[in-house]
Amino acid sequence: MIKVSRQTELDESTRAALASGRAEPALDLFVDILMKMRGISDSEGEVISGVALELEAPADLSADALAMAFAAIERGGAAPKRALAYPELAGLPPRLREAIASAESRTGWKTIGLGIRSLDLGAPGALKAEIIRVAPGTTVPRHTHKGRELTLCIHGEYMDSGAVYGPGDFSIRDASIHHEPEALAGAPAYALAVTDAGLKFDGLLGVFQKLFGL
Amino acid sequence: MGGKGISKPVGETLGDAERTRFADLLVDVAERQDRDAFAELFAYYAPRVKSYLLRLGADGALAEEISQDVMVTVWRKAALFDRAQASVSTWIFRIARNRRIDLFRRSKKPELDPEEEMILPSGVEAPDARIEAMETEARVRAAMKDLPEEQVLLLKLAFYEGLSHSEIAARLGAPLGTVKSRIRLAFAKMKVRLGDE
Repeated sequence: MIKVSRQTELDESTRAALASGRAEPALDLFVDILMKMRGISDSEGEVISGVALELEAPADLSADALAMAFAAIERGGAAPKRALAYPELAGLPPRLREAIASAESRTGWKTIGLGIRSLDLGAPGALKAEIIRVAPGTTVPRHTHKGRELTLCIHGEYMDSGAVYGPGDFSIRDASIHHEPEALAGAPAYALAVTDAGLKFDGLLGVFQKLFGL
Repeated sequence: MGGKGISKPVGETLGDAERTRFADLLVDVAERQDRDAFAELFAYYAPRVKSYLLRLGADGALAEEISQDVMVTVWRKAALFDRAQASVSTWIFRIARNRRIDLFRRSKKPELDPEEEMILPSGVEAPDARIEAMETEARVRAAMKDLPEEQVLLLKLAFYEGLSHSEIAARLGAPLGTVKSRIRLAFAKMKVRLGDE
């Protein structure tokens, strides 16, 4: 297992490895939240994309598209912000908070062990994105994963394989690694986990290759 | 909608004057809820956002629905647009990219995030950061004009469509190593400051 601490500079090729495969929604979410939490911007990539948008051939819209947009505007404000099951997550980057609120209304949290709960964010695509919540002082029983896993600490602190993870730290592990993360006493810990369930997904593989130096 | 505003031939980027005009229009939307200004932005961007969503695999109805949703967000969040930080195209792309996670979730309409993370100014902006953003915009646009078409295509596949290098290699029928080295080369040109070379 490799820990990439918040202080670790993500070099260009690591960032490229992380960014590759952003067509995969779970990985796209992971990379966005990671960069947000670390204050990294992808300004070149966004300008390239803005230019690419200008280069698009315009698609046909229905004749009343603009009228419908105005109608939606007049219907008024956005849906009210929903309260989260765990208020301590309210300070997360809005995209993640919204994904959590939406998943809570769809499937809800599942208890997967004593003091351990998970929330499937329902990302479409080949990768799974979920939030894992570990109650204060709880240890997740020693386990392995079917596939590879990227785990980003989003709130609180936990100890795993001898290293302490705080917000913005992430780890990478493959199926062979046994681990038993433990939330520190006093506060629950939360992680965003992206797994490939052994599908050997290409984007995640690229991240692994880069960071394991394969 | 036709016959009004900026109508560019397909496959051309916006020039300086047009980008300034679009930024003015978006400021008009923010400050005066100017419907004509919005209509002009809609005429240019809504069909292109729809093309983007179709490219990512959405069907026609979903692409139409989400592109409208993106434009409604443009109206509602116009006050968050900072012309010193991004072009209108870059700003709208960010909104559209945020929506793509909902692309295949047909059962539920994507919901508007009241705070729309990606377009919020990222905290307190140092004056340096704003100057840097403008420089990046100019530098990347200039570099994209000079790059061979093939390298522009590679950058679009990697950043705009978010494909992995292997997926790009498969799409183009090119060896993976070649794709990797060419993307690195093209991207390096984006990073070189104007006048450094």
